[in-house]
Amino acid sequence: MNLNLRFSLAFAWYYGFRTIKRGPSYVVASLSSPLTLLFLVGILSDGALIKYAVVGGFIGLVASVSFASVADAAFLRIQLRIQDLFVATSISPTDYILGITLSYLIFSTPGIVLYAIFGIILHIFTAQAVVALVLILFGLTLSASGMSMAIGGSVRHVRNVWGISAIMSVILTVLPPTFYPYTFLPKIYIYLLAISPTTPAAILAQGWFGFEPVMNVMIFVFIAQITIFFALARYLTRWREN
Amino acid sequence: MIESNDLSKTYKGKVRALESVSFRIDKRIVSFIGRNGAGKTTLLRILSTQLRPTSGTATVLGFDVMKEAQEIRKRIVSIPQEASTIGVLTPMEHVKMFLVARGFSFKAANDESLRALNEVELGEAKFRPADTLSGGMKRKVFVAMAFAANADVTFLDEPTTGLDPVSRFEVWSALKNLTGDVVLTTHYMEEAQELSDEVVLVDSGRILEKGEVKGLLRRFRGKVRVETNREGSGEFRIGRTFVSYVEESEAEKYLKNGFNMRRITLDDLFLVRGVEFEP
Repeated sequence: MNLNLRFSLAFAWYYGFRTIKRGPSYVVASLSSPLTLLFLVGILSDGALIKYAVVGGFIGLVASVSFASVADAAFLRIQLRIQDLFVATSISPTDYILGITLSYLIFSTPGIVLYAIFGIILHIFTAQAVVALVLILFGLTLSASGMSMAIGGSVRHVRNVWGISAIMSVILTVLPPTFYPYTFLPKIYIYLLAISPTTPAAILAQGWFGFEPVMNVMIFVFIAQITIFFALARYLTRWREN
Repeated sequence: MIESNDLSKTYKGKVRALESVSFRIDKRIVSFIGRNGAGKTTLLRILSTQLRPTSGTATVLGFDVMKEAQEIRKRIVSIPQEASTIGVLTPMEHVKMFLVARGFSFKAANDESLRALNEVELGEAKFRPADTLSGGMKRKVFVAMAFAANADVTFLDEPTTGLDPVSRFEVWSALKNLTGDVVLTTHYMEEAQELSDEVVLVDSGRILEKGEVKGLLRRFRGKVRVETNREGSGEFRIGRTFVSYVEESEAEKYLKNGFNMRRITLDDLFLVRGVEFEP
């Protein structure tokens, strides 16, 4: 498979960075939910769980931005017909999906910087934790965007996608142990919630930041999710329609 | 050169969009004309490798649309119907991104984008976000993509639908200057007449007629179109208007009886052939 990385990077830069520059309200909107939860968790736990909410904020932000790609994938395909434009070029669906996925990572950057400042203030970073976080956020972008694009590719009408995107963003980000210790949950719930890309990402982050024991099985769940959701996205994205 | 043999397309839900379509075209600008739902877009999407046919074969520049889609994609540009710009991106960014997708380097994409945007008279708006552009300007962004790509064949699906007359004329001028062959669909007969070396009439998923405009209108030689709202006063009915084609020498008689007279255009061929074709 030949990848056109130049296209993926160009698309990511234009679609991600230009949206930050020309539509800053979207950035604020993407931050509103994680920041609200950070405030709530901080108040309700009397500050005890604030570090969970900061690490969860990184994950919640990247996940909710990536889940928004349900709407974008369908909008670009059905409404703007941009996907069709690219189908008749040499790029592959992987190039296109990667471009959109990376654009979400770029779009999340201002929020990541903000949470990094919170993390520095709270002294939660170690070198190992930073490396782990970078890998987790990159993997989470791939799995969450892959899942969203697979769903977005199956949607027939644009009118449905905004609702689906909002539901996914709330349920798959807030229900999993993103903003609270995963040890609060019975094991059975952890496995049930493992359908969400946010669950293994949050559990691994809490383990590698030293907040909770590391749950190694989640490494395999995380890698499996990245592979399966990205493959599903490639398959369901309706590149050349039947 | 584009060729199709017994090309058919049936969508899920048993909607038959194309029925055993066979043709061969080798003129520089060819228009597929027909009403909404005639099958033009389906045909164009199959030829530009965006849609799989249900049966039959088609080749573009000698390459099979099913077996050699990648070879075709290297050589064509296809601008979808109602393609729209991304609001936060500028015309320059749209064209550059498209050229990079076609394998251009960043430098070459930059140079070609500038040239193409100037060519379609979007030079002054090249750095404006697309959501500040008029409908005509947005459409011209896609024409600039086609222009910059220098493809062997450019497919354009209804490139001027919804544009005002000035914008339409500007798009026509740009299309005439495209290098390579052009295949477009339209339901504007005047557009087909203005631009095409050859037109293909499509209706209900079949090819009704194909040829140069002059040749296709030969059957109307020496005739004019007369029309009236009087019930039962014409050979053909369009809504509440009744249309007949009469010898020029008889036109005076009809005018005295309150008929309106019109010059023959491709509309008339479409009207006559469409009715002849109906079962």
